[in-house]
Amino acid sequence: MLLEPGFLIVQTLNGLQLSMLLFLLSIGLSVVFGMMNFINLAHGTLYMVGAYLALSTVRWFDSFWVALALAPLGVALIGALFYAVLLRHMQRQSPMRQVLVTFGLIFVGFDAVRMVWGVLPHTIPVPETLAGRVYVLGEVYPAYRLFIIAIGLAVLAALYAGLERTRLGAVVRAGVDDRTMVAALGIDVERAFFLVFCLGCWLAGLAGVVSAPVFSIFPGMDMSILILTLIVVVVGGPGSLKGAVIGSLVIGMVDTYGQVVAPEFARVTIYALMAAVLLVRPHGLFPVRRTH
Amino acid sequence: MTGKRTMAAALAAGLLAGTAGAANAQSSIKVGVLLPFSGVFGGLGKDQAAALEMGFDDLGREVGGRTIELVKADTESKPAAGLAQVKKLILRDKVDVVVGIISSAVAGAVRDYVHGSKTPLIITNAGNDALTGEKCSPWIVRTSFSNSQINRDMGPWMAGEGYKKAFLMAFDYAAGHQMMDAFKAGFTGAGGVIAGEAYPPLGETKDFGPYLAKAKAADPDVVYVFFAGGPAIKFTKEWAAFGMKDEVQLAGAGWLNSALYVKKQGADAVGTLGALNYYPSIDTPENQAFQAKFREKHGRDASEFGVAAYDTVRLIVDALKATGGKTDDKAALVKAMHDVQFTGPRGPFRIDPQTNNVIQNIYVARIEEMGDSVGAVIKHTFPNVQDPPNGCTL
Amino acid sequence: MPGRDPLHLPAAAALVVAAGAAWYGGDFFLHEVLAEIAIFAIFAMSLDLLVGYAGLVSLGHAAFFAAGAYATASFTVFLGWPAPAATVAAVGCAAALAAVAGVFAIRVGGVFFIMITLALGQMVYAYFFKAREFGADDGMAGIPRPDLAALGLDAAEPHVFSALTLIAAVAVWVLLLVVVRSPFGAMLVAIHRNESRVRALGCPVQRYKLAAFVLAGAIGGFAGSLIAQHTGFVSPDLGFWTVSGEVLIMVIVGGMGSLVGAALGAAVLVLLRHELSDGAFWEAIGLSADLASYWQFVMGLFFIAVVLLAGDGLYGRLASIARRGRRLRRRGA
Repeated sequence: MLLEPGFLIVQTLNGLQLSMLLFLLSIGLSVVFGMMNFINLAHGTLYMVGAYLALSTVRWFDSFWVALALAPLGVALIGALFYAVLLRHMQRQSPMRQVLVTFGLIFVGFDAVRMVWGVLPHTIPVPETLAGRVYVLGEVYPAYRLFIIAIGLAVLAALYAGLERTRLGAVVRAGVDDRTMVAALGIDVERAFFLVFCLGCWLAGLAGVVSAPVFSIFPGMDMSILILTLIVVVVGGPGSLKGAVIGSLVIGMVDTYGQVVAPEFARVTIYALMAAVLLVRPHGLFPVRRTH
Repeated sequence: MTGKRTMAAALAAGLLAGTAGAANAQSSIKVGVLLPFSGVFGGLGKDQAAALEMGFDDLGREVGGRTIELVKADTESKPAAGLAQVKKLILRDKVDVVVGIISSAVAGAVRDYVHGSKTPLIITNAGNDALTGEKCSPWIVRTSFSNSQINRDMGPWMAGEGYKKAFLMAFDYAAGHQMMDAFKAGFTGAGGVIAGEAYPPLGETKDFGPYLAKAKAADPDVVYVFFAGGPAIKFTKEWAAFGMKDEVQLAGAGWLNSALYVKKQGADAVGTLGALNYYPSIDTPENQAFQAKFREKHGRDASEFGVAAYDTVRLIVDALKATGGKTDDKAALVKAMHDVQFTGPRGPFRIDPQTNNVIQNIYVARIEEMGDSVGAVIKHTFPNVQDPPNGCTL
Repeated sequence: MPGRDPLHLPAAAALVVAAGAAWYGGDFFLHEVLAEIAIFAIFAMSLDLLVGYAGLVSLGHAAFFAAGAYATASFTVFLGWPAPAATVAAVGCAAALAAVAGVFAIRVGGVFFIMITLALGQMVYAYFFKAREFGADDGMAGIPRPDLAALGLDAAEPHVFSALTLIAAVAVWVLLLVVVRSPFGAMLVAIHRNESRVRALGCPVQRYKLAAFVLAGAIGGFAGSLIAQHTGFVSPDLGFWTVSGEVLIMVIVGGMGSLVGAALGAAVLVLLRHELSDGAFWEAIGLSADLASYWQFVMGLFFIAVVLLAGDGLYGRLASIARRGRRLRRRGA
């Protein structure tokens, strides 16, 4: 069964789709961590809030596309607010304080979502234009899942171009390599960091919105995805776009195939993989070379 | 030093003031409600708590001159917290009887303590077979179901309907395996063949896609599953999205399309077969009256979770009436529960004195379109399903 | 650090006295809570050795908690050993697990150490979740407590068992205090502050880290053995990463690098959790009992408040107030 071409095609597409979701989630976390050594454990919470905002938007406007446009912006706004009120002061503090504050935000976010949207799981319909099924190399596959893959690839292309071609991208790349040097050159690293942080929140919200029609929306959906995202970040190597891409692909594929090839070990495959990678490459697959 | 010690004692006393609550008036009958109000099963806990309140409103909060008082405790859906809370209920609040428990993990954690304390516990959901099987206790009564009770008769029935090749799928934990094993035994016993099985890890499965691909590759007549809550919604949706709906019959334990969320599942759920101890569409006067009252109060259908809690209230109140409101003799109270018999929303209800598990009808239903919504239509009834002792000697 | 910290002994004494007073005046339920506090204090202090002194932030410490608990369950239930013997064996098992895992884990640092210990914890959790011989996800029940009949006591009584755990917590505190004040402890702190310099001086850094990891694991296993006896029940949840997260939070809230702080953090969080999730507490302060189900919200705000108002944890805040007080007094005199 495992070598049947049909099975392989569908499974590879499933793996690709998970990889792209993980990419949307991990890239923001990874760059923020690489630039400022800042661990935002509440990143999964932003993903969850994105899904819930999509739920409300769909209820009001009856359109997935409006939700796709608005909900990630809402998440970015929430992220910006938290940055201004709380996280800005945390940057230069010990990582353990960041852990505690963002852990606190996880708790607060979990209950806030329960208060507003209740505890029962929700779902939003797949947009009508993508509700059908398509044939990929002769295999039936839900069109919406291909859309998720496409979104991931589009974001990847945009980020690549942005990092290579724009001034902000240059500051970010330099900031990851050597922050003090960039600051010494009179560049406002703080502002660049703020923008990157908001972009990361927007992407987490985007991931929440696009996954909402496939996965159910419930309080606590943030936790398992958070762990997986963190794994992607360290496996790929924090701070690099390449690391986030490769990390997402490796984790997405291994997780998807591992579940059916070796179901007995489904629960540990990813952890074992991460441990193995770190033992061979203690700073992840594509560590950013630091100059200080 | 003395001054400091007094200060420290005062400080400690202050810190713990809430914890060391005073005992209440002796005259009331105290019912400890042990449900998750937070955590993964928080929604089910609140559903059952609402139905318990409605039950006591309907059946009265006074027996033999004593008022019935509810003391709520939150298990947080976690075994350790559940155990701490049941100790609090029994030791501090001195409850006469404990009702509740959604998760079998919590039930397993409190089982020994409750058994040792000789406090009657009425389980309103947790379905682990062992609780009324090899680990049964004279003090633990279950009004909901056992995992195999729901699925046992479904195997032969499906085989009789012409399904010959089944693929099984459930989360990899005790309940998942017990449900699948019960179905498998009946199905293969009646000549069916198991084409394959898949047990995704509980709590870490984000996507059913990989498993659906595996099930499809096995080419079965029917895929029989146990999923509930968020995963059930997700599974049904992906089942339809992958086009499995048009190719293979989907069946399973009826929580796949629970009344709590079947309307959200909508068209994706249509055609699915389920086996469960309660569906809102049961056509009896008892059920219609109950649903009408519940709808009026909560604006939605009562679910199997609510009914289990509601029937539990009837069991308690009837048993208390039989003892004249006396709760000192706990053995007599449990004995009185064995003698309670009534027809509730889900049909005839009584407790099996052999195992302390409920004897009840199990219904087979198909999800069909109902006006502009969907709902379960009952196709078959297995009357008065009773568990074998399974190693229980009471 | 406790060696030079004049507040450490008075604070520890105050905590012990408070616990003693609560024990003396407490009812059944308070004794249950005290035992839980004592066990988590032991667990948190063992993690503090790693986090606060050696600078190794572990998000997998529950692996040893679970290992100790399951070892205790196995030796008592399967082999019929008395609880104290099982505890000794459980500490050994946890230490062995820590030794094996530690050899790999200490090769990476910083956030990578966090993640590799997370992986360790999750693998232990997954193992117990699937292991049918240990009851899989149902766990194991029927774990006995020590037989104290010779002393005329019954450990099944909450007041007896809570006293035992409180004594154990004090003993662990003394043991760890000796460790962190020893040359070994000083070396751990030195490695934490400047690893490359210590390495350049020819010190076997990795061996020191491994020793700290094993000692912390062993004491974590001891706490696990006690929790198994406390609840009489073990389940895979004991090893889940949120348990590791909670004990790490206890250490951070209490104050890293001060054993008393870790114990204080354990006490505050266990108490807060019991109070906030109890409807009676909310009614007592004049609010609706339904708020109890949103205890996590308040807990989250509490974490944030701790960071904003007491960046170095509760104990760190107390210490800085005490320092300021002394300075003022000195100036006044």
